[in-house]
Amino acid sequence: MKRVLGILDCHNSCTLGELTSDRPLASVSFLGRYAFMDFPLSNFCNSGIDNVGILVKDHQRSILKHMGNMMSWVNNTKSGRINIFYNEKGQMNPLYNTDINNIKENDWVILKSDAEYIVFQSADMITNMDISVFLEEHIERGEEVTGIYKDVDDADVAFIGCNTYNIDSDSYVIDVYQNKGESKKAKVALGTWIVNRDTLNRILEEAEKVDASWGMKELLAYCVEKGIFNIHAVPYKGYARRIDSIEHYIEYSFELLKPEVAAQLFPLDRPIYTQTYDTPPAIYGETGGARNSFVSNGAIIEGQVENSIICRGVKVGKGSFIKNSIIFSDTKIGERVVLDNVLIDKYSKVNDHHEIKGDKEQPIYFKQGARI
Amino acid sequence: MSTKLAAMILAGGKGTRLLALTKKVAKPAVSYGGKYRIIDFPLSNCANTGITCVSVLTQYESSDLNTYVGNGEKWGLNGVRSITSVLTPKQTDEGSNWYRGTADAIYQNIDWLDKVDPEYVLILSGDHIYSCTYNAMLKKHQENKADCTIAVYEVPWAEASRFGILVTDDKDNITDFQEKPKKPVSNLASMGIYIFTYKTLRAALIADAKKEDSEHDFGKNIIPTMMAQKKKMVAYTYQGYWKDVGTISSLHEANMDLLLSGDPNINLYKVQGKNKIYSEDTHSTPQYIGPNANIRDSLVNQGAVILGGIDHCVVSSEARVREGASCKNCVIMNGAIVDKGVQVSNAIIGPYALVSEDVKGEPGNIALIANGKAGN
Repeated sequence: MKRVLGILDCHNSCTLGELTSDRPLASVSFLGRYAFMDFPLSNFCNSGIDNVGILVKDHQRSILKHMGNMMSWVNNTKSGRINIFYNEKGQMNPLYNTDINNIKENDWVILKSDAEYIVFQSADMITNMDISVFLEEHIERGEEVTGIYKDVDDADVAFIGCNTYNIDSDSYVIDVYQNKGESKKAKVALGTWIVNRDTLNRILEEAEKVDASWGMKELLAYCVEKGIFNIHAVPYKGYARRIDSIEHYIEYSFELLKPEVAAQLFPLDRPIYTQTYDTPPAIYGETGGARNSFVSNGAIIEGQVENSIICRGVKVGKGSFIKNSIIFSDTKIGERVVLDNVLIDKYSKVNDHHEIKGDKEQPIYFKQGARI
Repeated sequence: MSTKLAAMILAGGKGTRLLALTKKVAKPAVSYGGKYRIIDFPLSNCANTGITCVSVLTQYESSDLNTYVGNGEKWGLNGVRSITSVLTPKQTDEGSNWYRGTADAIYQNIDWLDKVDPEYVLILSGDHIYSCTYNAMLKKHQENKADCTIAVYEVPWAEASRFGILVTDDKDNITDFQEKPKKPVSNLASMGIYIFTYKTLRAALIADAKKEDSEHDFGKNIIPTMMAQKKKMVAYTYQGYWKDVGTISSLHEANMDLLLSGDPNINLYKVQGKNKIYSEDTHSTPQYIGPNANIRDSLVNQGAVILGGIDHCVVSSEARVREGASCKNCVIMNGAIVDKGVQVSNAIIGPYALVSEDVKGEPGNIALIANGKAGN
């Protein structure tokens, strides 16, 4: 393996309202078992990239909590390393709390590293990709920058705000424009891109000349426009979703209940790693049951669960019926409770005999620690 | 808790009565409770006690078990002041021997113990299922200035003749030891869990090793000899769930005890908090329950895919119950597949087994399916 540094960029993530009031998108729970950051971190690990930096924008406590001993996503626990990039100054000055300024603030990681190539991934994208294939191509062709994109046909409703590519017949990017949802078809940049060390230094130099509030996304578009370097665009054909709204969060969570969709995101040879919590297996009582659902370890189900996602340590009491809902970790649901189209965040408690029904378009959300 | 207490876990046995389940793995490494292996229990107990010095003595089909124990990381036993060793029989200056008995296994590792230099040694069995800490037992040992403290378990009088029975006085001093007595005068069965003062144990092991007629066994030789020498022997009564899973039916029963309808004393959710049972975390996907599944009174681990029906079952990671299949009162181990429409009842389905036709065991005669045909 060539000397490579992976960088997980948490700066471009959207907020999901209350769901991200105490945590960044990167550590939001997904499918009851994962945090979003598990996907890019596992991609690095499964591609043999053992040195990783995380560009943390805010809520670092939540990120560090999920990272635990930091070793769940590295192959060699000595040579492998996950660094936290944290821009202290940026906290005081949110406008300038960008990924570029964060890299500059923590440039020692890159200076000290002997990496020849740097691979970026974005924390808001769910993919399962073998980056090493793209990296090999990048090196073989002697490219300066390789950008990974996906041909999508729902760009009018998804990937809004992402960079999209216009490419020429040699697959070089002619121009980079922001997806404003004008058309269904687009080549959407997935936030995964490979850059040579020298070129990254040049990008950081260019950053001095432009608006200091620009992030990497804007700067890359600028560099292409100015002809500073070419981006070689390479398509990725696997599962890719961008979590940019609570509606999409729900939609993508539930679409993975379809085995044929889940099979795309979870190929057997590239597992997604996560932090262990040493919880016992899920337990169903004599009055308990589930259908078309993900149920996490640590759950005690004595009621019925349908089309739902049950996170770790959730308790569903006798006679309760949970439908089309997502119940986050350690939430306790009493007896004879009926929930339909409801999201209940962590550590909440629903007392007996409640009936709460949202509708599909407008699910009801209860924040962390709610008492209902 | 100081490093004064070293734990030695005896994990070399084959577990012949577990039949095909232990053909390729030692009994302590047998899958249990959807997520665990049996040895997770004594190892977690050591971790929860705060013991930092643990060795696992292996012999029969040891590769899987040795890999599994590793440096003890799964139980947090790899901290800066911790040592976790897997001790297998070895070649030495004096030749090469298998472990000839439980006592011989410890004797052959006296050098390891000398290096660790413990004040007390805790001898455990790698194939018992129970959740506890050993602090109270150690305290009793220290307070009594005992040479040996034996953990005992009150068994029903009718069954007492099947066990090694200890007779005690009113101060819990052991006055007699009877191996499977015809007319038991006590119902305190030895659990095979001992705390020895190391100095005494060391001398006893060396003396026993020289005896040619000894079976080098704790229950048969070391304890009776120490009794005869009038050593201070104390009984510690253990309360709570404890099971030695020796047979297919007892392994099945121990699994079913974990269910909410099972034995409340081993409810894994009640032993949470400080006394977690630690285990390997598989890189599984979330547990998926299909649209036509029927689940009732079951324990299901991450990575399992349930599309059919399960009732009164314990299901491990990556096990699959396909559409229309129905399992009743079954233990379905990791990677096993119950094929479409197949009916299975009262059975243990071994790791990576493929069940493609109906199997009906009886509650008193649990069927074992261990063909490994699902492939890993």
